[in-house]
Amino acid sequence: MESNILVVENLWKFYGREVILKNINFTVKRGETKVIIGPSGAGKSTLLRCINLLVRPDRGRIILDGDVITERRDVHNIRSQIGFVFQHFNLFNHLTAIDNVLLGLIKVKKLPREEAMRRAKEALLSVGITEELWRKYPAQLSGGQQQRVAIARAIAMDPKIILFDEPTSALDPELIWEVLNVMEKLSRNGMTMIVVTHELGFAIKVAHEVMFMDGGTIIERGPPNQILLNPKGERIKRFMDRMWYLYSLNRSSKVA
Amino acid sequence: MNNVMSWIKDIQFFTYVNIILSSITTTFILSIASFILATIVALLLSFIEVFGPRPLVKAVEWYVKIVRGIPLILALFIFYYGLPRFGFPLPPLYSAIIGITLVDSAYQEQLFKGAIEGVSEKQIEAAYAIGLTKWKAFRHVILPQAFRIAIPGWINEFSIVLKDSSIAYAIGVTEIFTQAVHVAQVIADYLKPLLLVSLIYLCICYPLSYISNRFHRRLIEMGMIGS
Amino acid sequence: MLENILYILYGYGSAIALGLKYTVIITVTSYSIGIALGLFIALLRVYGSRLPRALLTVFVEIIRGTPMMVQLFFVYYALPELGILLDPVTASIIAIAINSAVYQSEYIRASISAIPYSQFESALSIGLTKFKIVWIVILPQAIRVAIPALVNEAIYLFKYSSIAYFVTAPELMYIGKSIGSKTFLYMEVYIILAFIYIIISILLTELAKIIERRHTVPSFIGSKV
Repeated sequence: MESNILVVENLWKFYGREVILKNINFTVKRGETKVIIGPSGAGKSTLLRCINLLVRPDRGRIILDGDVITERRDVHNIRSQIGFVFQHFNLFNHLTAIDNVLLGLIKVKKLPREEAMRRAKEALLSVGITEELWRKYPAQLSGGQQQRVAIARAIAMDPKIILFDEPTSALDPELIWEVLNVMEKLSRNGMTMIVVTHELGFAIKVAHEVMFMDGGTIIERGPPNQILLNPKGERIKRFMDRMWYLYSLNRSSKVA
Repeated sequence: MNNVMSWIKDIQFFTYVNIILSSITTTFILSIASFILATIVALLLSFIEVFGPRPLVKAVEWYVKIVRGIPLILALFIFYYGLPRFGFPLPPLYSAIIGITLVDSAYQEQLFKGAIEGVSEKQIEAAYAIGLTKWKAFRHVILPQAFRIAIPGWINEFSIVLKDSSIAYAIGVTEIFTQAVHVAQVIADYLKPLLLVSLIYLCICYPLSYISNRFHRRLIEMGMIGS
Repeated sequence: MLENILYILYGYGSAIALGLKYTVIITVTSYSIGIALGLFIALLRVYGSRLPRALLTVFVEIIRGTPMMVQLFFVYYALPELGILLDPVTASIIAIAINSAVYQSEYIRASISAIPYSQFESALSIGLTKFKIVWIVILPQAIRVAIPALVNEAIYLFKYSSIAYFVTAPELMYIGKSIGSKTFLYMEVYIILAFIYIIISILLTELAKIIERRHTVPSFIGSKV
């Protein structure tokens, strides 16, 4: 079994004449959690959308578990193997929490109802959504609960990797914790994840590698302590200074 | 003597009420038939406009533009007086059904198209992200939401058709309004027959508008449309 | 057929133009009265005290629940029984204006409630009175939100003014019918009328788009992104 589950090679994306992604290269190992940080407009979100082919890259290859997915035409089959968690949750508004999880299992994975039900319940419980919430509609749930249902929807599909697009930035501060907690647990249990986030604490504690993106390209990468605490380049230094200011922490303070 | 006179008048009054009420079937046939036919045509057209190839999309756009420019009375006159010249004489009721169907299909097309496009981009992206195919995303996410979004407007549209069916008076369809005017002419009193038909329309339209509002509020609560 | 159409245009062109003039007069007048009255009703229903609010709600529901035809016949045929005699054009304008006022009040009311309460709050916080807040903060925003609906109403009235035909107001449809009964070329006349109605409706629709674009404020509710 190859240890690299995802390989991104020489990836480019243009919108008209504007370059959104410029020669992106990286690999993700099985069980790895990779955090991407960077200012808005850096192309982080587009990169994630390219990986599960919601956006078609213009050049380059993406290899998922030995399969060159950029050359595949049955994109929906690929997408069913890649989980995606959105900033604004994007739960299906017309379906209850459990039906949101069931939809993919029944319509994409074609599981029999009982089996799908079992897996949906398991997924919901694993993110701390208990039975009394299963029959609620998204609008009746808190932001944190909605995002955890969205994570359950992703993990129930038994994906090879889950992509998180700023999963906590639409949440009230006190709800952020419950979502990060679920993500940390997922990572510890060996799920492969790419997380675009500004949560430095999460990055330091959970990430195996952090990549700093700016201007559509990866500027610097390395272990979280190095990137977040001792960055080298000028741009990243300035960015990290601001981030730590917002995080109310001094860069020199020791982080366990 | 006076007492007897008022008795006679009352009997007359109830006869007239009966005449007007008996024509309510025609109003229902006319409005329900045209409404359902218009819905069928409009669904077809809206699917074409949202998913169809470019030339067909343009054709639907022009159909809507043109039909929406024609006053209903004119459409009724054209079908009632025009068709016989091409060898298709139709009884007034059928002409009216065709005329209302034509005009209302353009309005309902806009309603359905708006509902399909009203399903948010985010919902569609989420559907693709879990691996649904285009067709399945349409079938399980877009359509069920568009259907719910369209309901309040669709119910209102029926009230509009019901009220507009009174224009069939122009070509002599004996629905409630026509019958009320006939009665008014006979008894030389417009006030009472008009109040009576108003009451009939109100008894149907008000509950419909109430139900439509309930649906609308529910959609806002569910986050499927903005408040 | 084309020959007949030309014949009608040649022989009755000025009559048709006169009919169009009346159609425009009825539409414009009833629309203007409608918007003024509609604004009044909307404001009273949102900010008024309980009694006028209740009365207006009943009034609005009655008008919305009955056909414009019934309202027109009421004004023209039933009011004389109560001693109010009106000529066809005035009766049409009054009936259409009242009907339109109710619908326009609903559009305005809906757009007032679409303005977030935070707007009202922040206006209060800088010390504006309630009246001024409504007039200079809420209404300008609400009217912008309502523009598409209000413009649609104008196009709708333009077509619907044709029901004035039933009370013999000499507008397009009435003129058309009388030309038809003189020449027996009904179909040709109706084609000409349809053409006029369609062209003007399309022009108004295009004009509406221009107005909407011009009054768009970036990222404002109702503005296209």
